[in-house]
Amino acid sequence: MGKHVLLADDDQLLASLLNFRLKKGGYEVHHSSNGREVKEYLTKQRPDIIVSDIMMPYFSGIELIDFVRNDLKLSTPIIIISSAGNEQNVLSAFELGANDFITKPVSPTELLVRVARELNK
Amino acid sequence: MSISKTKDLIGQLSNLERAVSEFSFEELSADDAKELQLSFNSFRNSIEHHIYTPKTGKKTNGSVIKNKEKEEIEKKLLNQNQFIAHVSHEIRTPLNSIIGFANLLKEENLNESQDKKVQAIQFASTSLLKIINEVLEYSKISSGNINFETIDFNLSSLINDVMFLCQTLMLDNNIKMIVDVDDDVPSNIKGDPTKLSQVLLNLLGNSIKFINKGFIKLSVSVKKEHKDHHELKFTVTDTGIGISKEKLKKVFKRYAQAEEDTAIKYGGTGLGLSITKEIVEKQKGSITIESKEGKGTIISFTIPYAVGNAKNIPLNLIESSNIENGKKLLAGTEILVFEDNLMNQHLIKEQLMKWDCKVHTHVNLNKGLAVLANKKIDLVLMDLKMPNINGFEMSNAIRQHKNAQINTVPIVAFSADFTEQDSKDCKDIGINDFLLKPYTLNELMTVILNNKREKTKRTTIKKMLEKQMIEPKETTKVDLNNLLSDCFGELDMLNELVKLFKLNALEFIGNVKMHLKTENLQEIALSAHKLKAGFAMLKANGMRQLIVDLEANSKAGNLEKVKNLYQMFLLDYPRLEENIDYHLTILNKK
Repeated sequence: MGKHVLLADDDQLLASLLNFRLKKGGYEVHHSSNGREVKEYLTKQRPDIIVSDIMMPYFSGIELIDFVRNDLKLSTPIIIISSAGNEQNVLSAFELGANDFITKPVSPTELLVRVARELNK
Repeated sequence: MSISKTKDLIGQLSNLERAVSEFSFEELSADDAKELQLSFNSFRNSIEHHIYTPKTGKKTNGSVIKNKEKEEIEKKLLNQNQFIAHVSHEIRTPLNSIIGFANLLKEENLNESQDKKVQAIQFASTSLLKIINEVLEYSKISSGNINFETIDFNLSSLINDVMFLCQTLMLDNNIKMIVDVDDDVPSNIKGDPTKLSQVLLNLLGNSIKFINKGFIKLSVSVKKEHKDHHELKFTVTDTGIGISKEKLKKVFKRYAQAEEDTAIKYGGTGLGLSITKEIVEKQKGSITIESKEGKGTIISFTIPYAVGNAKNIPLNLIESSNIENGKKLLAGTEILVFEDNLMNQHLIKEQLMKWDCKVHTHVNLNKGLAVLANKKIDLVLMDLKMPNINGFEMSNAIRQHKNAQINTVPIVAFSADFTEQDSKDCKDIGINDFLLKPYTLNELMTVILNNKREKTKRTTIKKMLEKQMIEPKETTKVDLNNLLSDCFGELDMLNELVKLFKLNALEFIGNVKMHLKTENLQEIALSAHKLKAGFAMLKANGMRQLIVDLEANSKAGNLEKVKNLYQMFLLDYPRLEENIDYHLTILNKK
């Protein structure tokens, strides 16, 4: 069984590509396009790693980190996808306990390397 | 969320649902229609989830000490406001898609009944958006006060919209809908049009729900004329089932438990008369009701309105009268149409004849030339890509003709796609302007007005050409190789991604169009932001830059610049998509 990735991104296009590549890379992927779903999912499932866009409807990536670290008290690695020019958000993400970030436009190959690195730490 | 707001939402949602389901999607195979339906379903699920899922939050316990109680109430309020903000955001996103797709759908070649239905969808979804925006506003002030606008608006067009929506709600065609507006009622007034249509929709909606024979009548009169305002009286009379004496006493009672149940049970427009009363009274008005069980109900309300000025009404609100003006300018214009598809021929003829134009349609060059020689034709509309005839050659033959009356006739080309080569060819031949299908009636009217013979002189033809015909551009370039290698060379995946991309672009076009109407630059910036990643994936760097500029200008509040960039996008995007398809075909063949 491959490691389990939770992919949270409301951009269907990017999410489809990443989903495809992660699955090709041998991961099991659960994709969710809004924060509320992500929250519900996390109360039932324990993914090995979370990849999340910072801008999402209902529940932002920042709130997600806060939820995982402070409410669920989990140390699951979290990689944040951010847009260029959103440095302030990335800083907040790190302060709250994000492990890594990747800037849009996202290279799927780079993301896979980062995911593997977090999981092997 | 306050009870009244929830009811507002449910009421308007039912209006929209009715309008969407009224629209027969089988009638129309357009992708837009399917998208619209999908958007609506996801929208409804999301809103129902929020309205019917009980909110968490415990009741305050009377025995706790005051401080703690206060703290808890504050926390609850905060939670509630956050909740409202979240809900509004989440509802607005799919609703924007509904409105966007409805706008796109409106531009398809719809028949009259389809067109009216789409109009109903537009009206209902826009009303709903307004309320949701209000809820957001409401959560900010959280004081329970409703904000009222004071803007100029056209009363009869508002009544037309409301009545049309009511017609679509009416299941029984035997019931007459009557409108009677007194002559001395000013046509433009100043106040809150959204609230007025809400009140009218609620009252008429109630009548529709409880009627099975007879008529429903809306009358408007001036109750009293003051120096600076008119007190307008609106009366809704119906021959419905009426209300019993005991219930009549209660109908205006605020937040009566029984009514809440009714609103939820009946759904519909049943927004409770108490809320209607509140809205009327907040505008310094009053409302009265008379009813006899089994006979019918008369509800009257008065609201004071200052006389409005048509000059202050935004263009899109008086679009119909713009078309009226255009009609006057177009009347008598003789147009020769080259189009070989009978359906299209029929359609364009219908459209032009509605504007009192004289229309000749031909598919044969010699017959067309004869018409040009014998009649004073003001404009030629030429379909460029007809299956059996070449529109370019026809245009060329017209321009090369020895007869000056023939070779000077303005030619407007129309086509569903327009490549860079086409644009060059048009320029070389001397075609004056072009129209991209699908076009709106407004666009058709504008292009004819701009080009028809009296107005066009040779110099302006030249200028027009320089302005309209665009050289090959950076903004239409794409490169799919990178994305294909990201897909490990799997074409199925690439095709899937391209499909998603096109859908996003379509949604973007609809969204921006809508938000330009309300000049909501913030939403435009957000839409642009979302599209950026897609263009980056397709290595459409020129177009990506345009979108980056569009986002930046939206954020900076440069409305004119945003409009220009959007126009450029509309012009180039079809060619970009053509390039995508071209690349895909080549890759698929390999």
